[in-house]
Amino acid sequence: MKKGMLVAGGVIALVLLVLLFVWKPTVIIYGVQRAGLYAAIAIPMGLVLGIVHIVNLAHGEFMMVSSYLTYFLATSLGIDPLLALIPATIVLFILGILIFKLTISHTLKAPELNQLILTFGIAIVLVQAVNLIATSQPRKLSLEYVTASAKLGDLHFGTYDFIFVALAIVILLGLQWFLKKTKSGRAAVAVGQNPRGAQLVGINVNRTYMLVFGIATALVGVVGGFFLTKQSIFPAVGGSFTMKSFALVAMAGIGNLPTILFAALGLGIAEAFISSFQGYAGWSHIVFFALIIGVILVRSYVGSRR
Amino acid sequence: MTRSKTRKRIFLGVALLVAVLYPLYAGPYPQAIIRTVFVYMALALSWDILLRSGQLSFGLAGFFGLGSYASVLLSINVPVGSLVSILFAGIFTGLVAFLLGKVILRLRGMYFAIATLALGEIFRVIIRNWKGFAGGPEGKILPSVIFDGAPWPSYLLTLGLVLVVIGVSELIQHSRYHFGLTAIRNNEVVAMSRGIDVPNTLNHVFSISAALMGMAGAVFANLYGFVTPENTFSADYTLLPLAMALLGGIYGTWGPVVGALVLGVVAEYLKLFIPYGHLIVYGIIIILVILFMPRGFVGLFGDLLANRRRGKDAAKSKEAAA
Amino acid sequence: MKGLRTTGLTKDFGGLRAVNNVDFTLEPGQITGIIGPNGAGKTTFIHLISGVYLPTFGTVELDGRDITTLQAHKRSQMGLGRTFQIIHPLENLNLLENVMIGYLFAKGLNKKEAHLKAETLCDDLGLDRLDRPVDELTVLEIKKMEIAQALATEPSILFLDEVMAGLTGEESFALIDFVKKIGSDRRLGIGVVEHVMGVIKELTSSVLVLDAGMVIASGPFEEVAKERRVIDAYLGGGA
Repeated sequence: MKKGMLVAGGVIALVLLVLLFVWKPTVIIYGVQRAGLYAAIAIPMGLVLGIVHIVNLAHGEFMMVSSYLTYFLATSLGIDPLLALIPATIVLFILGILIFKLTISHTLKAPELNQLILTFGIAIVLVQAVNLIATSQPRKLSLEYVTASAKLGDLHFGTYDFIFVALAIVILLGLQWFLKKTKSGRAAVAVGQNPRGAQLVGINVNRTYMLVFGIATALVGVVGGFFLTKQSIFPAVGGSFTMKSFALVAMAGIGNLPTILFAALGLGIAEAFISSFQGYAGWSHIVFFALIIGVILVRSYVGSRR
Repeated sequence: MTRSKTRKRIFLGVALLVAVLYPLYAGPYPQAIIRTVFVYMALALSWDILLRSGQLSFGLAGFFGLGSYASVLLSINVPVGSLVSILFAGIFTGLVAFLLGKVILRLRGMYFAIATLALGEIFRVIIRNWKGFAGGPEGKILPSVIFDGAPWPSYLLTLGLVLVVIGVSELIQHSRYHFGLTAIRNNEVVAMSRGIDVPNTLNHVFSISAALMGMAGAVFANLYGFVTPENTFSADYTLLPLAMALLGGIYGTWGPVVGALVLGVVAEYLKLFIPYGHLIVYGIIIILVILFMPRGFVGLFGDLLANRRRGKDAAKSKEAAA
Repeated sequence: MKGLRTTGLTKDFGGLRAVNNVDFTLEPGQITGIIGPNGAGKTTFIHLISGVYLPTFGTVELDGRDITTLQAHKRSQMGLGRTFQIIHPLENLNLLENVMIGYLFAKGLNKKEAHLKAETLCDDLGLDRLDRPVDELTVLEIKKMEIAQALATEPSILFLDEVMAGLTGEESFALIDFVKKIGSDRRLGIGVVEHVMGVIKELTSSVLVLDAGMVIASGPFEEVAKERRVIDAYLGGGA
């Protein structure tokens, strides 16, 4: 019966999407593009939540740091940001591992409260550190290729942002491959499901946690590099992405990475839809907040103790 | 009355006197600092009150802002005194929290924490887009600042706020509520199996905590005379009280009080040396406290006392055995 | 009728039927054992009775009143008490305060009264130095505190979930005597979940045997112990 409901839901969603496309095609186009960005950022958070079982409230801030690193590398070395993001990602991988080892790893046995507050503190430190070093003035690069556009009938739209969709898919597939086909990846899955059991069979749980956290940070670093190409960055830019990522991961369910894509689609299109109405652009931010609360609530009713 | 109780009362009485007469011997700049410290102290303590039930909230700025706006919008549209509007703000915020609580208090842990953060943001976005009544992005201005800015009454207002919050906190600590909240925090299933009405207890404490935060917001808005979405819902009102309560020691009245005093004063010095980004220190403090002294100053102090007592007991039993 | 009754009590967790159509009665003054191999659903059964879980089918009645969907704290206030198999002492309260909870919230007493009654109860159980934090207690003391916590709700129906586990023979016997005495003094109906058969023999007048969530036998222990089905269930015989 569950499968039938899923199929029915999927068909309805498809029909709605087609109708929407006919009515307001830009909503679908920009919604999908946005969804790509959201998914690309959310999937690494889902990885950490599913394996290390912590919410990293500094997740968006890591992306922001990567964006700034890429910016400064690109501008001082005079190279394209898509190239500069490679060293930036390596730095971020190291940063993630360092921060994990020095701080988060010590709170894993403590109550969940401590981890939440700790990563909250880390987020603040990252934002303020960047603020001190680079000031709050927004930075932006003007690149030619981001203005790529296409024509559909008499409709013009930007096409560069589809790269985020590609990025999200690559990240997802890459992680799936890592988790299923590599030794460390399978060890990580085992640790996520049963850390004690994994330890008993000889898996180094702490090293696995560190590796996973580092990978997630590096991935979000890659997204940060791409982000820089199109958007202007400022120290606080990461915050809303942390929240949206959590909303998507919560919607998809812990440990369920592919569903994040669909959740992101829902979010992206909903936001684009609301923005498409004159004067309501400001309200689009509420969408995902309301979504978080709605989804989490539904889950809490469904999965309640009784 | 026992000797230690009398000593305590005398100490508190003197402290109160010192506090009330503070503006007599302190200049306008320290007074302004202490006023702000008191408002943050009220927030820190209100946050702690909810934390005692085990629920972590990141929604301080949201309720603070809600109270601010409630007070200002009431004052602008209805001819009531500022003090009445502050009281109204508290009740209004408490009521909103009560209704919302029916829904979000089913959540626990990270889900609840993020839901409260989301709530705060929702309030802010709604107000920012509500151009007519709530003034939109420009906010609203009060016709006049409370007490026309006179320093002593303004100071007493914040002192009054702090005393109210301390009073509520202590009432909770010395009543059966303390048992209920601690039991819920430690193990909800055990708590409910021994007769504790968990959903209602949580909702009550959530509403009380929010009402106090709303009042703090209203006091602040009246002191400065304006509200805007960006200023009034600033993340500072979540960040600083958290750092203060953690530093001083959570799950008790005096931890947040001590934390607010220490951090508030330190913050002012920091602002002189690092005008921008001094907030980084709060983040560092939060990290250090969580890693090295999760029970804050009060916890450390309590441990020291306990060790001394244990030392004394050990010495006594050594003597008895000898 | 006075006492507890379950009728057709059933609990499904997804595809797993943990408790299957259990009928059970417990009258005041009666002490009944609930036994069965590991995983038979005994603790889940208690959870359904005390309100930690809601059943999928079936009803629970206390003193003739239907409490099937009543919230757990209300059942506690009505006089249904239980201990937990895995004990979670409330770690931020001391020994006495842990016991006071029931008096404060299930009986609605004020702090002073609760304090006094809790002290008396602890004394009856042989607990002393009541201001100690719970992480300093011995295994026996924690068990006693758990029983005290349940008794502090002044129940008319009490369920003890494997309280004897981990105790020495001498300690168990002292506790058994205590349970017998308090059961008769207060006319309690007591359900005892146990693996230690000696305790069951000493305490109970009849037992209910569960296996895979179902009742496979009931009656006095000596008779039930001879039944083929019961022996098979414990030894894992059969298909």
